[in-house]
Parts: sequence; C-alpha cells; structure tokens
Amino acid sequence: MEKSFELSGKIGIIVVKGSVDALTAPHLATFISEQIAAGHTRLVADLAGVDYTSSAGLRVLLGAVKETRALGGDLRLANIQPDVKKVLDLSGFTSILKHYADRDSAIGSYGG
Amino acid sequence: MAAPKKLALVIGSGSVKCAAALGIQRVLERADIKLDMLVGCSGGSLYAALLALGYPTEKIAEMSSSLWTHDLTARPNRRALLQAILPGIVKFDERFSLRDDRKVNQRLEEVYGQHSFEEAKIPLYITATDFMTGEMVVLEKGPLLPAVRASMAIPLIFPAVKSEGRMLVDGYLADPLPVGVAIREGADIILAIGFEATNQSRLSSLGRYAFQFTSVMSNNLLKANFAFHNLAHHSEVLLVVPEFEERVRLFDTEKIPYIIQVGEREMEKQLPYLQQLLAA
Amino acid sequence: MPNKKIALVIGSGGIKCAAAIGLVKVLQEEYLPIDLIVGCSGGSMYASLIAAAVSAEDMQARTLYLWTNEVMKDYTSNLKATQDGSVRFNERSGLVDDSVMNERLRTTFDGLTFENLAIPLKLVATDLQTGEKVLLDKGPLMDAVRASLAIPIIFPPWEIDGQLLVDGAAVDPLPVDVAIQEGADIIIAMGFMLSNRGRMRSMTAVQQQLNNIYMNNILKSTYAFYNLAHHAEIFPILPDFEEPLGMFDTDKLPDIIARGEAAARAELPHIQRLLAG
Repeated sequence: MEKSFELSGKIGIIVVKGSVDALTAPHLATFISEQIAAGHTRLVADLAGVDYTSSAGLRVLLGAVKETRALGGDLRLANIQPDVKKVLDLSGFTSILKHYADRDSAIGSYGG
Repeated sequence: MAAPKKLALVIGSGSVKCAAALGIQRVLERADIKLDMLVGCSGGSLYAALLALGYPTEKIAEMSSSLWTHDLTARPNRRALLQAILPGIVKFDERFSLRDDRKVNQRLEEVYGQHSFEEAKIPLYITATDFMTGEMVVLEKGPLLPAVRASMAIPLIFPAVKSEGRMLVDGYLADPLPVGVAIREGADIILAIGFEATNQSRLSSLGRYAFQFTSVMSNNLLKANFAFHNLAHHSEVLLVVPEFEERVRLFDTEKIPYIIQVGEREMEKQLPYLQQLLAA
Repeated sequence: MPNKKIALVIGSGGIKCAAAIGLVKVLQEEYLPIDLIVGCSGGSMYASLIAAAVSAEDMQARTLYLWTNEVMKDYTSNLKATQDGSVRFNERSGLVDDSVMNERLRTTFDGLTFENLAIPLKLVATDLQTGEKVLLDKGPLMDAVRASLAIPIIFPPWEIDGQLLVDGAAVDPLPVDVAIQEGADIIIAMGFMLSNRGRMRSMTAVQQQLNNIYMNNILKSTYAFYNLAHHAEIFPILPDFEEPLGMFDTDKLPDIIARGEAAARAELPHIQRLLAG
C-alpha cells in the first residue's frame, strides 16, 4: 500500500493505492492521524488506486472518519473501484459515509 | 476547536406510536434545546415533516388525529381482489394493493399538499425503499406530499409511489430506524426514537402467520442496523424506546395524548445526559 | 499467524449454497485447516456435510437426492385449501406436507450428530414466536438442519426442546457472530444475496420480494455490525450469479460449484497473505 497527502485549497486529499488490509491499515491510520493532528480535518480519501479493502482496513478508515467528525470535519470518499464498492456496500459504509464519483465532486461537496 | 454540536432527531416507523416524538419535542422546548436535523421513516415521516415545518406540537397532534383514521384503509380495492384471485386475467403489477388509496392521498394532500422540503425550518430527510432493489432512498428535495406518501406505502396495503423511474415503498423495509442518514449528514448527537413491531400471540391463520414473520424480520433488521450505527457513529446515539402500558393499535388516534405523554416521560429520563453532552 | 483459529461460515441462499462445495475444494487444496463451521438455512446442509468430512462428490450426490420438487408435496392443493378456508393455518402449519422432505433429510444425515463430527459445528435457526436467534449444537444433525431451513409458510416449523423453530435467515442470514463468539480469528464467510424479482405478477411474487428485501437488508446490516465488532479479519465471499436460480435448479449444480470455487480463489491470496504475515 502507498499513501500520500496533498492540499486542494483547505481540503486535505489522502491518496491511497494498493490493498488496505490488516497488515497495511495500521500505517494508514497513523498517516491519517498525523494529518488530522496538523489541523486538516476536512479530508477526501481518493481511492482510485485501491483494489482491495478488508474488514480490518475498513475499521481503520472508520476510525479516521470518527476522528474528523468529532472535530467538526469529515472524511469523504472519491473514486471507489467496483470491487471495493461491493465490500463497502456490504459493510454499510456507503450508507454512513459521503462518497463521490471523482475527486473534484468530493472536494466541491465541502462548499468552498 | 469545539464546534457547536449538531443534534438530530430520528423518528422510526411505528404508525400512530410515532406521535411520541411530539413528547420529545415538548421536553426539548422546555429545556430550550433546538434540533438541527430531522429524519423520518414511515409513520415517523408524518411527524418529522410537521416538526421540520415548525408547527407547534399541539397543532401537529390535532392534524395527525384527523389524518390517521380507520376509514383510510376501510375501502377495499375491488380490482385488487380480482387481481389476487385471477392474476393471469386481471393485470397484476408491483403497485398492487388491497386498499384504495384515494382517501389517504386526499388526507395527506390536505396536510402536506402546500409544502416542500425547501420550506422546512429544520433540515429534513425522509426515507423510503426502492421496491425493485430493496435499497434505501433518502428524499430531501421538492414537494413533501409524494415523499411522505412513499415513506408510508406499506406494501400490499397501499400502492407504491412512482418517482424518477423508481417504485418507492415504505421506508421500514430498508431500515425501520434510519440513524445512518443522520450520521452521514453530519449529526453529532443523535436522538433516535424507535418502535418494535409486536409479536402475534396466536398464529391462528395464514395472514397472522405471515404478519408474525414480517414482524420478526423487521425487528431483527431494526436491531442489526442499530448495532451497526451504534459502533459506527463518532458521537452519542441516544435511543428512546417508549414502553406503552396500554395497548396501542394501528388507528388508536384517541390515544395520541397518552402516546405523547409516554414520549415525554421517556425523554425526561434522557434529558440530564443530553444536556451534559451538549455542554461538554 | 500460525495459531489463528479459522472459522468457515456458510449463509442462507437456497440452492446457491452448493457454492460452498467449490469453496471447500479450494481450502482443501491449499491445506487451510478449519477449526469451526457455522451454517444457516440452506448453508446448514453444506456446513454439516463439510463438518462430517463428506467428499465434494458425495455432497453433490446428496444434494441431487435431497433436493427435488417432490419435497414440495401437496403444496398447490394446500395453498388452495388455505385460500378457500377449508384448511385452517396455525403456528405448526406449512403449505407443504413435509413427510418426503423429512424422510430424505433422515437418509442424508443418517447417523450424524453434532457430537461425532470431524470439525465442531454450530447451526442457526429462528424462534418463530419471539423472533430470536437459536443456536443448535447438540443431538442429531437431521433435526438441526430441518429447523434451520424451514422456510416459513412453505415448510412447517420444527420443534426442538419445546421451541418452534424456522429458517435462521430471518434473524442471522450470515451468522458471522457465532464464529466471533466462539473465539475465531480469521473468519471466511460465504454469503448470498437473494435475487430481486424483475416483474411481479402475483401476490405471492410481491410477498416473496418483500421477504427477499428483508433478508438481504438483514444480511447487510448484521454483516456491517460484525465487520466493526470483530477483532481480526473477516473475508466475505459472495459468489456472483447473473440470473436468479429456481429452488430446485439442481441441473445447474456444476455451475454453482464453479462460481463458489472462482469466488474463493479470488479471495485466497488475501487470506494467505494474512496467514503468512
């Protein structure tokens, strides 16, 4: 799994690639927490390069969502791939997270 | 950065019992607590919509008493009986229902006909179910009437509502207590008022048997969804499950004052904790 | 992860549950040891046979013997009799005369009890009166499987220890929670979404669509909860079926098994990575 961070205006973009599972998710959690600690609470996770998410991976993702929301922010998803979407649907994530077809609409959803 | 906490009220399905939400609103008013969001499902959508429009609780109680009467379902749909017996001869489709919905449409028109989501003073979300896929549909724009009508379209009893190419039925099939909508829309503290369907004591006919099985599934769906939302939410979900000592049947509108009292009583118990949460 | 306890969960899904035969083939080829098996409804049948170490070929043969439309004995005439009021329905009723089904289940699970299995087994049913989940893990397998797959209204409920039991799908269609409760670490869960009906041309079809919506939504919301509640990894395996299968489409058995195998192979690298890591 690879991860990187960039800013688009005031919105932080977390770009993730590869597999988010029990082995990689803890690194992602630390990475997201660092961004939150640096004051970035309005986040978009761009999942275009994510081909697999496991249950442990999803729990980490949710942990980050809760952290941002508790601070008045949010973590919204963009570019979910079909296989990952299937798992997110089954796990109830698509009903409690905001998700968008592409990065720009996810950024735009924060309304400037 | 302690942003002000957003408070949501989610009113689950429960027919006339949903009036207990008015009791919650009364307690909140007395404590000077304002709602930031309302979510309603099925019978709950009737009350969520009127609360969001800003009607006083006395007026809502009155409006819903006249809305929710036995004659709503008293008029059988004669064509439906033929369709059920002779499905190959009299055309049968997904909008099939055993009751004529003219009356219910007319009553809903009187109460909601002039209103839209955009007028709501508190952001409002109403849930229905896509009958073809079983998925939840969240309604939040346009006229209120079709949304409320879809949210309470009990399958087989009232016809489904066609909307944007979809066939919408009662929201309880997707989630009898849609806390997830409040989570997704950014609520912090969520007050959720839910009702379990009652088990049939004697399964003495096929109809009662089928009804019992539906109650079993509906209650299990309620519990499973709540278990998930409870773990998934970043803040507190306060569950209000009113316990009625008196039996409340589907059209017991004369019990609305009693139902509101029970809602008030249950909310009073939660109030001190809610106030602590809001102050924290 | 050498000491991790692995559980296999096979959910409800009627004839589609035979996909579990394909899954087990893959697990056996890869020498993945299973410590616990959990089953619900149609999945109970395969969970039981896997726990009894029955071979893949034998599982197919038993499916073909058990699952023909003769188990629907008198369905049509009873349906008519219930509609015209000549037969009264009560909590012990079903539209099917279950004598054929019971006889075949007895033959299929002859001599098998929970106590004499190769792998520990738990099956799930629903208490018809309270709607609560009932865990079955003692006595003859025939009784437990019969209870777990008693589709309400169609098959009469099955009584065990004074409780009238019906299809476990009404409470827990993919009972991952049982594996969590039993202390499993890695949970391989094979589940099936019921097919939605395109057109509904009879009251029975509308009723069936209603039940399907409920069971699919219960499956999703229970899974969503288990996914968050579990401490380790759950691997969901959901075989794809392009078209809805009829209750007795046993002629499609080879295809069903192949789909189960393919879905299991797709998940295998992730399971192996975790076990190695």
